[in-house]
Amino acid sequence: MAAKLNRTQDEITYMRPVSNCAGCGDTKVSWSVYEGMKRFNREHELKGKDRYQIVYVADRGCGNLQGYHAYHIVDAILCMGTGAIVGEGIKESCSEKQIVVTASGDGGYNFNISGSKFAAKNKKWGAINIIYNNYNIRMTGGQIPLETDFDKEGAAMGFEVIHVNPYRVDDNAELFKGLVDRYLNKDKVMVVADGVCVLDMRREAASVGLKLGHFIKSEECLDLKFAQEREMVSRDEPEKLKELPRFKCRLCGIGLRCQALLNNDPGLCFGCGACAQFPCPVGALSFEGRSYAISTDITELI
Amino acid sequence: MKKTGALNLGRVRLSGNQAVARGALEAGVRVATGYPGAPISDLQGSFEQLAGNIRRASPFTVKLGQALDEVNYNLTAHWGTTTNEDNAFAFALGAVICKGDRKKREFLTEDEWDLVYGETAFADGKNKSIPVGSRVMCSFKHLGGNTAADAIRVAVNIVPYSGGLGIASGDDRQGTASQTMQDNKVLFSLHFRIPTFELHSPLTAHQTVRNCYRLFEELGTPFAVIMNYDLSYREVSVDLAMEVDLGANMRQKSFTRDPKHLVTIGPHIRPRENKFHAHLIPLFRKKIGEYFDFLGNKVQQYGEKPRTLLLLNGPFREDFQLVKHDQTLKNRLLKKFGGIVAVETTVVFPQPQSLYKKLITKLAIEKICVFEEGYGRVIYMQLLDLVSRYGLDAKVFDCGIPYEPRIYERFSYIDHILAS
Repeated sequence: MAAKLNRTQDEITYMRPVSNCAGCGDTKVSWSVYEGMKRFNREHELKGKDRYQIVYVADRGCGNLQGYHAYHIVDAILCMGTGAIVGEGIKESCSEKQIVVTASGDGGYNFNISGSKFAAKNKKWGAINIIYNNYNIRMTGGQIPLETDFDKEGAAMGFEVIHVNPYRVDDNAELFKGLVDRYLNKDKVMVVADGVCVLDMRREAASVGLKLGHFIKSEECLDLKFAQEREMVSRDEPEKLKELPRFKCRLCGIGLRCQALLNNDPGLCFGCGACAQFPCPVGALSFEGRSYAISTDITELI
Repeated sequence: MKKTGALNLGRVRLSGNQAVARGALEAGVRVATGYPGAPISDLQGSFEQLAGNIRRASPFTVKLGQALDEVNYNLTAHWGTTTNEDNAFAFALGAVICKGDRKKREFLTEDEWDLVYGETAFADGKNKSIPVGSRVMCSFKHLGGNTAADAIRVAVNIVPYSGGLGIASGDDRQGTASQTMQDNKVLFSLHFRIPTFELHSPLTAHQTVRNCYRLFEELGTPFAVIMNYDLSYREVSVDLAMEVDLGANMRQKSFTRDPKHLVTIGPHIRPRENKFHAHLIPLFRKKIGEYFDFLGNKVQQYGEKPRTLLLLNGPFREDFQLVKHDQTLKNRLLKKFGGIVAVETTVVFPQPQSLYKKLITKLAIEKICVFEEGYGRVIYMQLLDLVSRYGLDAKVFDCGIPYEPRIYERFSYIDHILAS
């Protein structure tokens, strides 16, 4: 028997990353989860083997696939509607330093209810159950969702339900940092991310005559600086251009999975405002104007 | 740490369900999930009692529970709390994919290890040891296989992370307590294409279950054991002496990141599906042939110059034991068939083709009689395929029965063999 498989043409497959709109709320939550875990370890001065890790177990769906493709934080996606119960199984066999977070869209939530109920009743562990509320985000193209009352249903199962504005990424990172502590105390928390579909953002804002803001990058931005350096090298020493890496810093664009930030083009910005709270390492990123990071309710933005 | 625990519990009565539980516990199973339904309820019910979730009510669970407590055996059981079979199986999947420990290779060569583990997060292992975690059992009645089909199919897509997972299916082929009659040999063999075994006796079921855990955990695949209604409930008296694999039960817990295997999206699963069918099933077939005895199967010759091969599975195998103790039956058998080779097998899928090919060609077998119960004819079809594939000069006869006889109408399988 051959030691290694011969790769046949059939096995050469392509990756099809999920491409979210620049202001999509789903893309922001998983960054906050990851950042929250880092902050928890930093605050408790946990290093090396003492650090806690997240095991991110998800359901099928764009919100979670972007978490896999963009942030590489999704560890397992098995069957549709089983993220919550698979997560419970993992808790049985993973180490005490591994915090299992489960995530699903609202369709998955309905499918997941029996698993979520199990998670809420299981007294051995805590639970952090994230719901991407696609009623607002319309990830799958404006489908008519089931009428779901997360507050009543979550509470009935035994969860404390916390609604978050997904664009307030720093606040949410702080929230998840705190939730790790609560998980270790065996608390059961359901986090519902109430984003707004970017298509609705534009429409809603236009309907009330509101002009949404946009991001601003100062000259300190490492990516812009590097772009200038590339321009200079290509003009003066084009033979050295190949030696330069293509990008130097894209933390904000990759972190928030934002096409506008990745391309340094405010014209592509929908005005969600997530970058207002993004911790740029050199403080070069800011946001000017009104945004949904202030509130997801348009009446509060006027 | 003590690697094995010897438990001597004296004489107890043991049902088929309890025998499967015994095998799983001997293998060191740490997590047991399931969903109740006749005839399998008593299996998961035994785990529930042993885990202390409900009162220990039978002599088996009282005696064994006490003995397991004394050796600090770890057991988590979820039965009624998982709301259906799909939930139970998904829970089992979560528990089995965590591979936080390593064990030495017992059954795989280095090349075979490369084939099974070469593309996983463990591929860099210098001594090519086996990544292991909790051994898990999930049980449900035959209809449960339909309910859990989505999750079971995913278990195939994440091989080898699903190694260490055993499925026990209680078939109610006579529809005694079910709205449908179903032969799950078909489901597990032909649809999921995982190693599948039909148990035949409460006396020996534990050996097959225990050794399946050992072999198929290393091969990285889940396996299924199937029982019929009669076997599930039938009790025998045994002197219960168990060797419990405490090393397996007390393995280190940890989740290892490998999203290329555990995030089941098209680009990840397509090459693995191809590998499973083209390379791994042939490997399972080969290993089942190599460890045929180890898995509780026997090949025995009766009479001179055998020209007939009897392939005896499930209850046919159980009743065939009578031949060994009854000279009259043996004489009738030899008179009917002449010299025979009897293959007493629990294997339903995949059949060890090279073993049969060797037997057929070496002994110049002319006639193969397949005795299996149920509608699927899974073994018969595989034997037909074998004869056709290798151009063997032997005829294959379907001698099974397409149903399970009613439990209160004791059907004589040995009479059926002698009359066929």
